Amino acid sequence: MKNKIKQNEIPDESSPKRVSLWQLFATFFKTGLFTFGGGYAMISILEEELVANKKWITTQDMLDMLVIAESTPGVIAVNTATSVGFKLRGVLGAIVATLGVVLPSFLIITALTFVINEFSSNPWYQAAFTGIQACVMILIINAFVKLAKQIEKTWFSIVLLIAAFAVAVFTNFDVIFIILIGGVLGVAYTLIKERINAKKSRELPLAESERLDGDGQGRDEGGGEQ
Amino acid sequence: MIFLQLFWEYFKIGLFTIGGGYAMLPMVTQMVERHAWLTEGELINFIGVAESTPGPFAINLATFVGSTVGYQTSLGVFGAILGSITATVAVILPSLIIIIVVTVLFEKFKSSKYVNGALLGIRPVVVGLVLSAVVTVGCKVILPNLKLTAIEKDSFSHFNWISLIIVAVFLPLSQIKIKKKKVHPIFLILASAVVGIVIFGVFQIVQ
Repeated sequence: MKNKIKQNEIPDESSPKRVSLWQLFATFFKTGLFTFGGGYAMISILEEELVANKKWITTQDMLDMLVIAESTPGVIAVNTATSVGFKLRGVLGAIVATLGVVLPSFLIITALTFVINEFSSNPWYQAAFTGIQACVMILIINAFVKLAKQIEKTWFSIVLLIAAFAVAVFTNFDVIFIILIGGVLGVAYTLIKERINAKKSRELPLAESERLDGDGQGRDEGGGEQ
Repeated sequence: MIFLQLFWEYFKIGLFTIGGGYAMLPMVTQMVERHAWLTEGELINFIGVAESTPGPFAINLATFVGSTVGYQTSLGVFGAILGSITATVAVILPSLIIIIVVTVLFEKFKSSKYVNGALLGIRPVVVGLVLSAVVTVGCKVILPNLKLTAIEKDSFSHFNWISLIIVAVFLPLSQIKIKKKKVHPIFLILASAVVGIVIFGVFQIVQ
């Protein structure tokens, strides 16, 4: 609530201070360097840094950006960086913030690849990774549980989930096409549902008004909402 | 040209990943397998490393795959650097462009029935795909010879009971909450590495 009031007091001036590109880069570089795993771990840190400490954006901005980051393709943490950068300094800001958040990973991992290639035939290294591989399975299980909790539990989504799972496991069908088909089915489902609802709201008041002479007006809206 | 191929593959992955890092995994597995760029075991190792190094998991993985693919070319170290730049830029480029467009059209985007409809279908599909990654990675770790797209007689010949025990012990451990916070994956990864080394050490002494 407090944030809403604050936001109303300064409309359209959510970034009163002009943030320099260097500041933008440094902030995201730091975030990239000190968060492990990315995703939501990074978002809570970004929120503290950008909303509470630096006051570059409001809580509402942050929520809007999260909606964008979640519903556009790509890595969520990187998407948030792009979105914040764009909001503060336009296209150049988007590029600078994105590079900032990605650069630490890039440097560390590139260096690490050489180390890994050096050691990969060492039996002790392989023993450590036997353990790590089992752990990776757990990480993916946990990622699945977390994602599964977030989706709507309707028959439509459960059927899609199981179908996508079966096709991906037992066939060599391109994963990208499975995602595309999911998107197309989702649009079709939404449009069909909309048509059925529209039909209902057209038929329902007609039938009811025959019985309840003249009382159909109020029911018309009720039917439309279903 | 392998770098162009790498760019195109990771551009596609960046374009079709919805729901963050782990949603990317089935696509990366398929890509790596199709081009024979890495073995499945190498990829799983990388996932462990990507999760325990700073930065977003998916970016780490992309950089890793890119530099390994580049390192295999005749360009050596230079190839590795070129490969990691290629994969990393390719994976962030689609979202960079899309987000700039979407931020401008945010209100329209948020209420579009086509966008929301597509997401309604894509979200459960992605969860199903991550579940498929659980099964494929699980098979690779526990039954390395099993291939689910072509089940054969000797598919079950190799059973990795050590991995199964580690999974059985660490899965409940990963659910434990200390001060309402789950144990960070890094600690799980380090602990599992130690377990792997200790078991190997014990076997060395026994034999």
